[in-house]
Amino acid sequence: MNRRVTRAALVASIVRKDFREFSRDTLYIFLSVLGLVFFALTYYLVPDTVDETITLGIHQTGLDELVEEFQTGADAADGLDVVSLDTADHLAAAVAGDLAVYETDAGDVVLVGAGAEAEAPAGATRRDVTVGISFPDRFVASMVDGERPTVTVYTGTAVPPEVAGAMTSFVREIAYSLTGHELPVAEPDAVVLGPDRAGDQVSLRDRLRPMLVFFVLMIETFALSSLIASEVLNRTVTAVLVTPARVGDFLAAKTIYGTILTGGQALILLVVLRTLTTASAGPLLVTVLLGAVMFTGIAMITGSAGKDFIGTLFYNMIFILPLLIPTFSVLFPGTAAPWVQVMPSYPIIDALTRVTTYGAGWSEVTGSLLLALGWVAVIYAGGLLVLRRRVQRL
Amino acid sequence: MRATKGTTMTGPAISVSGLRFTYGALEAVKGISFDVAPGEILGFLGPNGAGKSTTIKMLTGQLRPSGGGARVLGIDVSTDDPELQARIGVCFEEKNLYLNMSAKENLEFFASLYGIKDPDADGVLRRVGLADRASDRVKTFSKGMRQRMMISRAFINSPDVLFLDEPTDGLDPATAAAIRTTIQEEADRGVAVLLTTHDMFEADQLSDRVAFLNAGEIVALDTPENLKLRYGSRSVKVRLREGDGIREETWPLDDAAAATRLGALMTSPDLLTMHTEEATLEHIFIRLTGRGLAG
Ligand SMILES: Nc1ncnc2c1ncn2[C@@H]1O[C@H](COP(=O)(O)OP(=O)(O)O)[C@@H](O)[C@H]1O
Ligand SMILES: [Mg+2]
Repeated sequence: MNRRVTRAALVASIVRKDFREFSRDTLYIFLSVLGLVFFALTYYLVPDTVDETITLGIHQTGLDELVEEFQTGADAADGLDVVSLDTADHLAAAVAGDLAVYETDAGDVVLVGAGAEAEAPAGATRRDVTVGISFPDRFVASMVDGERPTVTVYTGTAVPPEVAGAMTSFVREIAYSLTGHELPVAEPDAVVLGPDRAGDQVSLRDRLRPMLVFFVLMIETFALSSLIASEVLNRTVTAVLVTPARVGDFLAAKTIYGTILTGGQALILLVVLRTLTTASAGPLLVTVLLGAVMFTGIAMITGSAGKDFIGTLFYNMIFILPLLIPTFSVLFPGTAAPWVQVMPSYPIIDALTRVTTYGAGWSEVTGSLLLALGWVAVIYAGGLLVLRRRVQRL
Repeated sequence: MRATKGTTMTGPAISVSGLRFTYGALEAVKGISFDVAPGEILGFLGPNGAGKSTTIKMLTGQLRPSGGGARVLGIDVSTDDPELQARIGVCFEEKNLYLNMSAKENLEFFASLYGIKDPDADGVLRRVGLADRASDRVKTFSKGMRQRMMISRAFINSPDVLFLDEPTDGLDPATAAAIRTTIQEEADRGVAVLLTTHDMFEADQLSDRVAFLNAGEIVALDTPENLKLRYGSRSVKVRLREGDGIREETWPLDDAAAATRLGALMTSPDLLTMHTEEATLEHIFIRLTGRGLAG
């Protein structure tokens, strides 16, 4: 009667037991379902539209006619505004966001330093210059002389690459129509150093997505940590460990259960948000997996830390709430502060945003995923260590 | 089936020598030695804090001994050998059951950890009188029912050695008696049982031998009868008529003069009742340690 039980079978037994316990816990079932419904509703209720007007700044001398033509065209077309600026430097600064541009009712352009918006004339309308075209002085004259002057196109980072490309072609067209031959068009990189406003052109709904995914991970982390806390506090784990099961089996089971629970819920949400089909699946799944393992590690820490269930709840708050901060940097775009970027959840949020919102593939998220992997390794190892110690000291 | 259990059955099932455990500076178990044979029930009798649970924890692999050694079924307990864990059953002091699962689910889960495919959960539950509650969640069970669950869980892998830490603590007499019966049945099957208790009646009734544990040391270890013979003095309690009232006297029996007086008294019309009184294990415990079993 020498029964042998394989490690895999042991771990599988414990995982099955964990899911059975979860399925009996009405509170967490309720929270999980409610969470999904609530997040899906939130998602579909927030607007899916963006203000897609692009304000084009132009600097030129001696091309007033052209600009007027532009303006008429722009008035006719939806989504294009044209503003004239007096120097190329002002134009560059406006696109970079260092200068705020206002247009009075009379059509005069007033420039105000960024941060000094209060000095703007009353009643003036703010023009967010996102693209600029700078024609060099003596543009027409040089062309007439047979020279090939360089036209500079400034694009802010808020401008989707397609729009920037379109602008460049557009300038080539104009130049060609004026001169009958191709002119060089420069796109200085410097402009891109302005505030990272990636996301400006993204709807609130799309921006909300990574945040909702994180909320789901968080709810399941509560469920997982409460399960771990109950094993520890009721000492059922002691009963498990006097059988052929080892601490390693217990830890492996909690890892698998936690990853399936948190990652699974996140995937369900992504399906409900119709994201799984549109984003590139590989990077998305890896990102969700990393997030799930990270939260599993956290649940191991918080589940072991509390002296009672309230204690576990308290530690969950302490550990999880700060990790939500980077999700707000997606909701309110702007460069994430350095201290936000060093938060463990930042690279995951970042990868999630790029993949789900900008359709990024492997190459664009490799950096974030590697950074995330580093954090996940640290947090998960910490979780294993803490839970192992806790269990062995019962 | 038992025949296949191998060579280890020829020696003691549990063999402990010089076992020690310290919690930091506190020496909870101070070098104890004892054996338990297959089919034998050894009762560890001692007050709270004597080191009973600590000893069981070392023997079941929950704590690593600070010194000395112990073999269970011939296997060194500090090797953390799953082979050994597969053949022992443990009933813990705290009732660590999965409350949100049914009685049967609890047993089936633990059976699966032993690799038992079709455990006889119903049969085991029937033995502890819980067959009709098999599919109820343990959450709904009374204290006595949970304790019976604990016993049934210790039985689920048909172990060769049972470690039972205060299996009847705080139970009503009927439930306690039922649990003792099932423990006795296991011993009759050849299972070695190490049982802890601070109830002298339980130790007396159930144990083949009793170890008195006090402050981490075994102060005496023998059959209950031998302990009483060696350390206890028997006595006779007599009730005599005296005028209109009744007088009670206790006479030691191991005293020649008392025996003569007793002989004379037998024929006296004043003698109402006469009971021999055996020394209880608690009396002996107090005599040996200077303290009682309570608290
Ligand atoms: N985890 C622990 N940490 C520190 N001391 C402990 C721990 N567990 C038990 N003790 C101490 O060890 C001694 C023996 O305890 P224990 O084995 O539980 O006794 P018993 O089971 O006989 O009541 C007691 O003094 C107790 O306070
Ligand atoms: Mg105890």
